[in-house]
Amino acid sequence: MTALLQVKDIAHQFHGLHVLKGVSFSVAERSVTGLIGPNGAGKSTLFNIISGFLRPTSGQVFYLGKTITNLSIQRRSYAGLVRTFQTPQVFGELTVRENLIAGCYKRGRTGFIKSLLSLPEVRTEFAEATRLADQTCREFGLDAVRDQVAGRLPTGLQRLVELARAAIGKPKLLCLDEPSSGLGPEEVAHLMNILRQLNEKGITILLVSHDMELMAVSTIIHVLCFGEIIATGEMVEVRAEPRVREAYLGI
Amino acid sequence: MTITLLLQSILAGLTNGFVYGLIGLGIAIVFRGARIINAMQGDFALLGSVVAYVAVTRLHLPMLPAFLVGVVAGGVLGFLVERLLIRPTEKRAGTEDSYLLVTLGGAFAASAAVLLYFGRDSYVLSGVGGDSSINVFDAAIRVHAVWLIIISSLVVTGLKLFYSYTRLGQAMLAASIDVNGSLTIGINVPLMRTLTFVAGGLMGGLAGVLVAPLINIHYEMGLLLTLKGFAAAILGGLTSPLGAVLGGLTLGLVESLAIVAVSSGYKDVIAMAILILIMIVMPQGLLGRRGRRGG
Amino acid sequence: MPAKLTGPQRRLLGWLCSVLLIAAWAAIPLLAGRSTVDLFVFAALYAIAGLGVAFLLGQCGIVSLAQNVFFGIGAYSTAYGATALGWPALASMITGMAISGCIAAVVGAPVLKLSGYFLALATLALAIIGHVLFLEWEWLTGGTLGIGGVPPISLFGYPLNTPLRFYYLVWPTVLIVILIHRNLLNSRTGIAMRAMRDAPSAAAVLGVNIARLKERVFISSALLGSFAGSLFAHYVSFVSVDSFGVDRAINFLLIAVLGGARTIAGPVLGALFVTALPNFLSRLGDVHVLLFGVFLIAAVIFLPGGLGGAIERFWRTFAGPPRSAQSLTARESS
Repeated sequence: MTALLQVKDIAHQFHGLHVLKGVSFSVAERSVTGLIGPNGAGKSTLFNIISGFLRPTSGQVFYLGKTITNLSIQRRSYAGLVRTFQTPQVFGELTVRENLIAGCYKRGRTGFIKSLLSLPEVRTEFAEATRLADQTCREFGLDAVRDQVAGRLPTGLQRLVELARAAIGKPKLLCLDEPSSGLGPEEVAHLMNILRQLNEKGITILLVSHDMELMAVSTIIHVLCFGEIIATGEMVEVRAEPRVREAYLGI
Repeated sequence: MTITLLLQSILAGLTNGFVYGLIGLGIAIVFRGARIINAMQGDFALLGSVVAYVAVTRLHLPMLPAFLVGVVAGGVLGFLVERLLIRPTEKRAGTEDSYLLVTLGGAFAASAAVLLYFGRDSYVLSGVGGDSSINVFDAAIRVHAVWLIIISSLVVTGLKLFYSYTRLGQAMLAASIDVNGSLTIGINVPLMRTLTFVAGGLMGGLAGVLVAPLINIHYEMGLLLTLKGFAAAILGGLTSPLGAVLGGLTLGLVESLAIVAVSSGYKDVIAMAILILIMIVMPQGLLGRRGRRGG
Repeated sequence: MPAKLTGPQRRLLGWLCSVLLIAAWAAIPLLAGRSTVDLFVFAALYAIAGLGVAFLLGQCGIVSLAQNVFFGIGAYSTAYGATALGWPALASMITGMAISGCIAAVVGAPVLKLSGYFLALATLALAIIGHVLFLEWEWLTGGTLGIGGVPPISLFGYPLNTPLRFYYLVWPTVLIVILIHRNLLNSRTGIAMRAMRDAPSAAAVLGVNIARLKERVFISSALLGSFAGSLFAHYVSFVSVDSFGVDRAINFLLIAVLGGARTIAGPVLGALFVTALPNFLSRLGDVHVLLFGVFLIAAVIFLPGGLGGAIERFWRTFAGPPRSAQSLTARESS
């Protein structure tokens, strides 16, 4: 399988602190790749670098073979690289359906002036986006809350909305930042199901978490500790690795 | 341009600079203590000076007590603002915009109240030493202005000591940095916030009574002072009282020197343009360590 | 709780209310005196400018206190163009809008990157700069003396030089602005704006070009302000710098906040209120300025959705929640 994403010798310093010390790994296409590590390992920093929210002190990020290290967040999005956030960033004052319509932004083409005039193509596009949003609501089990304001939903549902919104844009690489934080065990199981389904549809998933249970859904796991990758492999191998056990202190 | 003119400019710039610095100081105190930008700070000054004026002309108090009354009035206003404007907004889960709008509303209301009570004229408050000036190499600076500079410096030093070395000062800082942590160790956070606004109000009142003899009390001066003070505070990093004063001095000097080059009608334009420039180019100020980027 | 109405019943009720409203609007000039009609004309003019501010605030979360500058540019362009240059009305108006648009673009680029307080105060600084320049550039604006003798607008040779005639021009214009506004909301761009307001990082991740969108909305707001200013100049025929100061900026902001920045038509109510109030209190002199400050505070604290939001809530309790996202006073934020 080809590498969709490749991270090469990424190092990052922050106020003199070496948060990342030469990290290299790749994410194979159609895989579910997990990035796990204890708190303070540098997962968030690495994640922000991959998703475009941070420029690394040194190193490169490759996507589909091309350098994207300095590419803007928006350009990455159009290339199919989408992320979620540790605290679910739903559009609080919009309904669930409108959140999903927002997720269709990339697919649309109408601009500001055309929208002012409400040209037919604007209306068609909006209706199409609405239809897609409703369909996605059904797929993700959000039908019941479709017309509710997203900001008032419980965390679990907000996460789902965020995920659905990211998925609706048909991303190539879906990067999830601590998707299970704040979720109960049932919700985590539900989340894992959804991730499997999305992966079956062809979406590559990069999963960052410190939750070992969630990681069971990954096909390959990289373990990050103190800014370095200390182990790579399938769940079983990684769990048995002594350095990993040491890092997690018996977890 | 002669040396005298240059010197005169510099002296004027210093004087104005300290005024902007005092307002900026008030803004910094409130921001440091409550994470709110007080759009009413200049109006604290306005009302302080108005009260002092009324004390002198209607109640016939001598100058010093009248000034003190003005300062206290500022503090009282700060208290009222916290109780009547800030708290209700907070109770209704105010966003950053809400606080801004509420204090803006207060600022306009205050200016309007002065307009209503005093009309559109300017009023003169006599200062220390009346109208007499001191000569510095042929350039004149009013005695009152010298006092302004001295008092401002003392106040700034006092504040630094207060926040660094007294328990109350540290408690006030703690309450703004970490609400929950402060509550856990027994700090009365709501009270600290009220005190912050009172302190800001006192600073505003002080600025008002110090500056009034130099620029004449006018109902529109509140908002302009707030903006210039805000510029000073940003230059200083928004959380540092000393920084605000230094920022104010910088602003005052640049403004004064620029006026020499351009006509004085553009004075405010220059100050406002500087404010915008500062916000864009160096929002973290000259001294600030990790300022609030963009608010 | 009254029983909710069904879909068709709601629509019928909605149509009925609209028809009544239009009938009332058409009847006002025929029943009321000249000064009342005059009031309504000013309300409409301020509503157009206020809608610009409301749009920026409600859909993008940007507090703008610079609308008086664009209002003034529009007014002075029209005044100067008509009196000093002898240009046709449309040419002056478009020039004014072009100038406003350019200034908004140039100033907006760096300033819009700021957020929260910084941006709001930057716009206030702009308001002051604008006001001072209007005062100082006498060769253009006539300074404190102003520019007089601005001819009224003529539609197909028919001069609109009475409040009555202007009334029938300006209110349909308000309606058109509202409809354009609504069009924008029900589009990909409209959703993107609100997404940007609620969670900018998440919006960026969906491909929204935040900086460019903010620019465009700011420019649109400025164009509306300028447009309103040009109409204003034609109506009052004498423009002076007093009309374009910081208090005007506050007025527009108050219209937006009091009327309900998140609602589409709410600012119209805000404009009516803000324009009518000084009239009621004219005997008491300048007290209305004080009240504006108090109302701004009260609106923020007690009426977060503004008057429009309150009406929307009332409609919902009375007639049930909307079936679709498209209602004219859409989006309350209680």
